[in-house]
Amino acid sequence: MKKKLKIDDNIFRLIIILVVFLLIAGITKGNSFLKVSIFQTMGRQMAEYGLMAVGCGICMISGGIDLSCVYVANLCGISAALLMQKNENAILPAILLAIVIGAACGAFNGFLISYLRIPPMLATLGSYQLFQGISVVISNGSTVSGAPEKYTDFGMKTVAGIPAAFLVFVLIIIIMSVVMGKTKFGARVFLVGTNAKCATFAGIKNKSIIIKTYMISGIVSGCAGLLSLARINSAKADFGTSYTMQCILIAVLGGVNPNGGFGTIPGIAIAVLILQVLSSYLNTFPDVSNYYRDCIWGIALIGVLILNHVINKKKSDKLAKMGS
Amino acid sequence: MKKQMNKVLRQTEFWVFLIIIFLALIIQARSGAFFANNNIVDIMRSMICPSLYAVCALLAFVSTGPDVSFPLVAALSSYLAITISIKINYDGPWFVVYLIGMFFGALMGALNGFIIVKYKFPSLIVTLGTSSLFSGILLGTFEAARMDLPATLQRFAELSLLTVKNEKTGLGSTLPMPFLILVAVYIAAYLVLNYTMVGRGVYAIGGDEISAERAGFNVKKIRFGIFVVNGMIASIAGLCYAVMSMRYLPNEYAGGEMVVIAAIILGGTRMTGGIGTLKGCILGTLLLTMVTNSLILVGISVYWQKVFIGAIIIIGTAIPAIQSIFGKNKGKKVKGGEAA
Repeated sequence: MKKKLKIDDNIFRLIIILVVFLLIAGITKGNSFLKVSIFQTMGRQMAEYGLMAVGCGICMISGGIDLSCVYVANLCGISAALLMQKNENAILPAILLAIVIGAACGAFNGFLISYLRIPPMLATLGSYQLFQGISVVISNGSTVSGAPEKYTDFGMKTVAGIPAAFLVFVLIIIIMSVVMGKTKFGARVFLVGTNAKCATFAGIKNKSIIIKTYMISGIVSGCAGLLSLARINSAKADFGTSYTMQCILIAVLGGVNPNGGFGTIPGIAIAVLILQVLSSYLNTFPDVSNYYRDCIWGIALIGVLILNHVINKKKSDKLAKMGS
Repeated sequence: MKKQMNKVLRQTEFWVFLIIIFLALIIQARSGAFFANNNIVDIMRSMICPSLYAVCALLAFVSTGPDVSFPLVAALSSYLAITISIKINYDGPWFVVYLIGMFFGALMGALNGFIIVKYKFPSLIVTLGTSSLFSGILLGTFEAARMDLPATLQRFAELSLLTVKNEKTGLGSTLPMPFLILVAVYIAAYLVLNYTMVGRGVYAIGGDEISAERAGFNVKKIRFGIFVVNGMIASIAGLCYAVMSMRYLPNEYAGGEMVVIAAIILGGTRMTGGIGTLKGCILGTLLLTMVTNSLILVGISVYWQKVFIGAIIIIGTAIPAIQSIFGKNKGKKVKGGEAA
């Protein structure tokens, strides 16, 4: 028997949407859209919020939500920048520092959610204010810049025409897909998200799983912060506040169920691509206001939710008929 | 008597009240300016809009789940109301402008309510989506910019309820008319929530949807109605904000939702639904307003404001959670005792 390549229905749909968008963009705005430089910019921008979306998505799979991704990223970026300002050669320690801070922030979120049993939305809502506050305090409320050139070069570096930031994004996506798809830990996260009580009875230590999930989200967001620091050579406490909404949108677009238990990392990655293509395409129309993007995101979010709902319902109706 | 004491002690509102008094005394001791008449009026003034939003958040939380679209509903509906009244050169009584706003607010709320009721999606995600949509319409389609109020609202804005002047510092402060609107909304909400069948239904469907349905409440209608009412209250708040700042500022609305939600959670509203009081709304809002208003009085840099708010939210939400954990342990012990 031939072994069929297994592709998730949802991922298949997403790939079709992506191809359709690329075709539309290519045909209508071929000469200004299909350029290497545009794709390079896309790769750089996408890496940042794409990573945050992955972090948020994992938390949503576990049945929670992480609203603090953006602020964890900013905090990591600011602290790395401050360290590198003081010591030009401390690039590696700065990166490590950022990742440790990201992990600590995530662990803090996880602690609030698992041990103190604060609902995830509220816990991360409170902690994002806290993280943003800490960022404001350590940066004195101003923009931190002046990272050494060696570091900022990375933001502009390309490997065979592909931006390095995008490669980092792909690398993390691959790692996370393996972690969520192939390891015991990943399977447990899905279980906890589907039904926390059943997971407890199945002998899973929910608390440690949740803490680890949020720690991963924190670390991934920290990487996003480092990438944006490299790209724009500055970090600020209120940078990218609109990304929070965008991350949730991407995760839902990518097939993550907001109630937990369903979703795939490759799905999220393709959703990131779709969003970036759409957004870059809109940018090629100079007279279309940026604010229309908000409008489209909102409609897309609700539209995708309804579409998934209808498709799932049809599927379950079919199954019910087959059963009877 | 003891039973009553116990009941009071168990209410979150009571503890928030204690924290407020404690904080007020500290601020008074450090700065000596907290109980000055102008500071009190200032706090009352800055509480008007958050307290109105708090009612929206309360209704949504108690019955369904978080609603984060109210700031944008407020912004868009008050924009429409103000533009329409300027376009038609309206110069009648001020409350007609409010009615126009409430009409549009109700429409937007109905959109939220329809999607949430029909598809049973999580309200957080839906309202995030619609608020993004509204912001796109407001800033993209209408290209809203700062503008002056129509003449009738301008006159309304210049009225004042109370004007005080601090003898020592010479700083004055006025309480604008929207304060009366706030009081009216709270009285109406209190009466409806406590003395009507629909009001009890709001709590019932949040507590247990299936039980409420069996008890004869029309869950879908009530839920839809709540989001429509939320839209109307949000639009009132939006117009009040415009009246208080004497002009319409489209970019000042977004972003307030999280602090309002934090305030009502501090005031004892449960995330899981079914529990929450208007008293708690006021107290929670008062606490957060005091913190943001008074840090400067105590001499703490504004930079620390967010840290304080975040810490208060986390501590405030952790206390009920810890209380319930301890409560459970206590229950177990009692049971064990009986068995022995």
